[in-house]
Formats: sequence, C-alpha cells, structure tokens
Amino acid sequence: MAKILVVDDDVHILRVLSMWLQRHGHEVVTARDGKSALATLDRETVHMIISDMNMPLLDGIGLAKEVRAKSGPALPILILSARCDQERLNEQLATYGVRVYPKPFLPSQLVVEINQLLGVTVS
Amino acid sequence: MLLIYLVGMGTIAQFGIAQARRETALRFQNDSQYAVKLLVHRIAAIRGGKSADPQWPVACNRALREFVANVPAKSVRVVEGSSVIASTTPSEIGTTVESSISATIPPGGLEIVTLPSDARHRIIRSPLALAEPGTTETESTLPMSGAYVEAVLPIEPLQPASLADHARLLAIILAVLGALFVVYRCLREQLRGVSKIAKRLESHRDRIEEDLASLRIGDAVDAVTVGWNELVGLTERLLSTVQRTEANEELSRVLQRSGGGALSEALNAIPDGLIYITDEVRFEYVNSAACRLLGCNASEVKKLTLTDAQSSGVGAKLLTLIREAASAEGFFEARTEVLESTDAQAPDQSTYRAWLIPLQRARHQGECLVMIRDVSQQVRADRAREEFIAQVTHELRTPLTNIRAYTETLSSGMFEDPKVITECYNVITKETRRLSRLVEDILSVSQLEVGSIELHVDNVDLKALLSDGVRDVRGLADEKNIDVQVVLPAKLEPVRADRDKLAVVVNNLLGNAIKYTPANGNVVVGCQVSAEAVVLTVKDNGIGIDPSEHAKVFEKFQRGSNPEVQHESGTGIGLYTAREIVRRHGGDIELISEKEKGSTFLVRLPHGESRAAALSPV
Repeated sequence: MAKILVVDDDVHILRVLSMWLQRHGHEVVTARDGKSALATLDRETVHMIISDMNMPLLDGIGLAKEVRAKSGPALPILILSARCDQERLNEQLATYGVRVYPKPFLPSQLVVEINQLLGVTVS
Repeated sequence: MLLIYLVGMGTIAQFGIAQARRETALRFQNDSQYAVKLLVHRIAAIRGGKSADPQWPVACNRALREFVANVPAKSVRVVEGSSVIASTTPSEIGTTVESSISATIPPGGLEIVTLPSDARHRIIRSPLALAEPGTTETESTLPMSGAYVEAVLPIEPLQPASLADHARLLAIILAVLGALFVVYRCLREQLRGVSKIAKRLESHRDRIEEDLASLRIGDAVDAVTVGWNELVGLTERLLSTVQRTEANEELSRVLQRSGGGALSEALNAIPDGLIYITDEVRFEYVNSAACRLLGCNASEVKKLTLTDAQSSGVGAKLLTLIREAASAEGFFEARTEVLESTDAQAPDQSTYRAWLIPLQRARHQGECLVMIRDVSQQVRADRAREEFIAQVTHELRTPLTNIRAYTETLSSGMFEDPKVITECYNVITKETRRLSRLVEDILSVSQLEVGSIELHVDNVDLKALLSDGVRDVRGLADEKNIDVQVVLPAKLEPVRADRDKLAVVVNNLLGNAIKYTPANGNVVVGCQVSAEAVVLTVKDNGIGIDPSEHAKVFEKFQRGSNPEVQHESGTGIGLYTAREIVRRHGGDIELISEKEKGSTFLVRLPHGESRAAALSPV
C-alpha cells in the first residue's frame, strides 16, 4: 500500500487519521506544520500528502507550492480545510493540481477519497 | 364755390378750344394756299407752252375736280382774258367774269381776297404762267396775260365742329363733375371714419385699441406675436441668469459674512470634506476637511479651477474623479466612488468615499457638490466582521471535525481497543466543551451588542472560580508545557458578581495567556483585595502586546496584528467580551504589556460600597 504524509497542527486530527489510514493498510508519517512537513519530505519518500489548510509557520497552500516546486506535479496532495471560502480555495489550489476536502469530514468517506486518488495516480 | 369753380373751368376750356381752333385755321390756310399753288402749276403744265392744246380746258376741268375732291374748296375756276376756261361749276364755263387778278401778283404769288358777303370764305387767286420749254413747272416765269386760277376756299376747315366742340366741353365738364363727386364721396367716407374715431376716442377710451386695431393693425399681429415670444424667451433667460447670479452671490455672501461665523465654523468642523464647484468648474468653496485632503489652504481655493488644481494621494484621485464626472457639456454626473489612500507609510490605509451630487437649479446643471468622507473605520469594521465570520466558521468547524471523526471511529466498530475507545470519548468531551464555550462567546457578544445581557449577582468564591478556570485550560497548557500557577491570599472573601459571566472573563484571559505564550512559558493567576476593589491578575511571559495596540485588542473582532497572533486561531471577541462583562459589574480591565515582555491583565471589580455604588445604576 501507500506511504502517506499527514500534516495538521491539531494532534487529534493527526491521531484519528493515522488510525483510519493504518487500518486500511497505509503507512503514515505525520507533521505538525508545513515546515516540518517539508523536512519530513527531505528524509522520506511518500506517495501522497494530506494536509490541513490553516497551520503555523507554513500553511497548506505554502506547502503545496513548495512541494510542486521540488517534486513536480505527480505527487497527489489533498488539503483539508475548515474555511468558509471553499470554492475560492478550490480554484486557487486547482492551478497546483491540489484537491480540497472540507472539514468536518467522516473518516470513512475520506479514506475512500484517498484510495481513489491513490488508485488513479499510483499503480 | 362750386359755381365759381365750374365757370372758371368752363372759361379755361373755352379759351383752350378757341386757341386750338385758331391754330388749326392757320394751318388750314397755309395748307390751302399751298394746294392752290400746286394746282396753278398743274394747270400751267396742262396749258403747255405758247401754243395751247385746244383740248386743254377738258384736262383742266379734270384737274379742278380732282382738286376739290382733296381740298374743301367751295369753287375753283380758271379764267383767261375775263372768260372762264374751266370751272368746278360747269354753268360758268365760257361766261365772262368781271373780277380780275391784280397785275402786281408775280407768277407763283397769291392774291387773297376776303369776301364781304361771306365771312367764312375767301378768294385765292394765283396768276397762270407759261412754262418755258425745258424748264420745270415750278420754274415757269412768264405770266400769261390776265390768266389766273381762282379758288373760293373756306377760311377754316369745315366744322360740324361747333356742335362737337360743345359736346366735348360738356363731356369734360361732366367728367370733372364726376371726378369731383367721387373725390367728395371719398373724402366724406374718410371724414366719417375719422369723426367716428374721434367720437369713440371721446366716449369709449377703453375701446381705443380695438378701433386702432381696425385701422389695419391686424396685419402686424403675426409679427408682433413672434416678437413678443422672442421677448418672453429673452426675458426668461435673463431672469434665470439673474437668479443664478443672485444665488451664487447669496451663497458667497453667506459664506463670506460667516467667514469667522457660525456657518463657516460648522462647515469646517464637520469631518466630511465639502467642495462646491461652480459651472465654470471653479472651486467656489472648500471646507477645512477638503482643504486638508486636496492639500491647499482656504485662501487659495477661490483661485483654483479644476483644470489647474494639483494634488497628491487621495486628493489627486479625487480630482481625477471630479474631472471624469465633469462632461464635455459642462454638466456633472452623479457618482459615488471609493478612494483608497495610496500612502504606503500609513500603518492603516485610509479609505474615502466620495459623492458627486450635481446641483439642479432651474435648467442649469453645471454645478456640483462633492462630499468626501473618511470611511476607513467603517471599512475596517466591515473587514473585521467578514474576518470574524470566517474565523467563527473555522473555529466552529475545528471542534466539530474532531467530534465527528471520533464519533465515527467509535461507531464504526473497526477500533475495539479499549484505550482507543477511551481516547475517543475524551476527545469528544473536550471538543464538545470547546465548541460550547465558543458558542457561548458568540452569544455573549450578541447579547452585549443588543444590551440584553443580564447579571445574576451572587456571592462568588473567587478561589473556586479561578481553580475551575485553570482546570479548563490545563489541557492546552500541558500541550505547550506551560506552567500555570494560582497565587491567592490566605483569606479571600466572596465577591458579589455573576458567577458564570465572571467565569467567562477568567477563561478568556487564561486562554489568551496560554495561546500567546510560547512553549515552556509560565502563567500566574493572582488576586489582591483592597477596601475599594478586588483585583484579579492574569500574568504571562508570552509575546506581549505593543502599547499602540492596547486599545485595539479590546475592540470587537479585532486581534493583534503581529504574525504570532495571526497564526493562532481566534475570533477577536474574547477580550471584548471580558471587558464588557467587567464593565457591567462596574469595574474595568487594565492591560500592562510590552512587546516580547509578556502581558498582565488586571480585572478590577468594585468591592463593598464602591461595588454597591457601581452596580446600583444598572
């Protein structure tokens, strides 16, 4: 299965996502903010990034931009956002080939979404 | 008169006629004499030379007959040697006559004899001459002895004339009389009209115009109407010009008169900029606020025209706006625009809203009133409200996300580890409390907004209140390894306050202290009691707040502007709510803080008599 980087400043979100993804056979690495996530990416190769939008030091958009600049368009990125301007954010991130998934979410449905993304892009 | 006139006219006519007749007679006599001379020549030619044709009297008679056919002669005869050779009276031929021609008459001459018996006729005799061979008739010079031509001719042309003359005279007189009559009648009509007018002038002065109008004034009516209309139009235009000028002058007068007076002061005192532009796109009036904006002083204003006015910053934008609104026809269009200050140095960008209000006086639209208002505050408030909504949405969704995710984790049956189940319950409980607090905060703001908040005052044990507050934030503090201490006096009497509301205050202050204190920091909660007040203190060694932002952080939906604050989630209502609640208790919150040097919030609650005095008016 896939190795997934989960980034969020809320430890409860990291915890619950890790539980669900591991249960579905994925390997999970975590980070508390965008900067840490970039450091993790320097060390490890992942198949997908799931990141929160609002984070200290480097937010979801900043992270996505950095990742695209470094690794190109292949790596699937999914941004979880609790913001009210979801549509605008979607348009903004579409240019980077990044999907936006709204908070609050049901973990079961998010896992389905993640698997679909991985199935399409990772053989 | 008329009789004299007629007699005079008759005499003149008679005289004219007599004169004409005399002239005619004279001409007639000349003509007759000439005709006789011609006849003499002709007879001489018929007679021929010395030896006459024995038949010549026959030809002679023919010539005489032809003569009398053309000339009104009574009789004509040719006499030779007292014997009548030829005559227009055949019985005379061959007879002897006693008369003879005077021997002194030369050939070609005429002897004219007036008849005593007949005044109307006379005898003209002319001697016959023998024509010399080779000479013409007129040059015959040899008289035949005693032979002559005698013609009896009327002195005047034959006149049925007399009667005709009288008829003509009568006709002339009648014509003159007729003409006179016509003239008289005409005069009488005119005189009658004039006398009628004269009478009406006397008796009906009011109707003079009508009568004058009847004297062919009607034709001029159209011309007068056109002229009148032009006059009316011109007058209206003049009137509007005058009124406009008067209005302008009145305004100028008022403004000038109140140069140091109330109106000018009032206009200068209002924070809104006012500019009055005349139809010559000249700045007629600019109040103080507008002067500041345009960067001019009041005395320069009158010299300013829109074309040469210069400014920078918002003033330049305003001028551009006015120039755009002023059309080529000199009219202004109504416009409302938002102008952003371009001053990059300003900590907060100013925003102005400009209204261009064309003045419509009569048919004149070339004047404009420009009003410009600093709406920075309003714009900031709007932005803050939008940010608040965004923040609240985010803040509400964050605990909801956890609640929903952990609830599904529990209900899915996929995770049966008891530790996981316990963890799920704990997270759900904690996040539910967080959500509840958030909703309370928002509701508090709403209640504070509408003034419907009610205090349920009771004896509040401060020690218990503060301990509960610390317990609520313990989780957050532990996450960042922040040490939270409560330092209280040994003896602390209860205070009169609304327990729940005061709990909100403590919670908000403690929450902020932990939020804005970096990991491994410390927070101290204390309490001092004096005769007048109980002062609760929440002190941290966190990021601190710049003194310039001390007032702002207590405003609704406002948060500190430094990046550390912006990175933390928050709605900007915690401190506002806290201060409002404390103020309802008759107290206040004081902030002692500097950037990077931590913050201390002092909650001052009136105590004893002060409290009673403070609370009584509520």
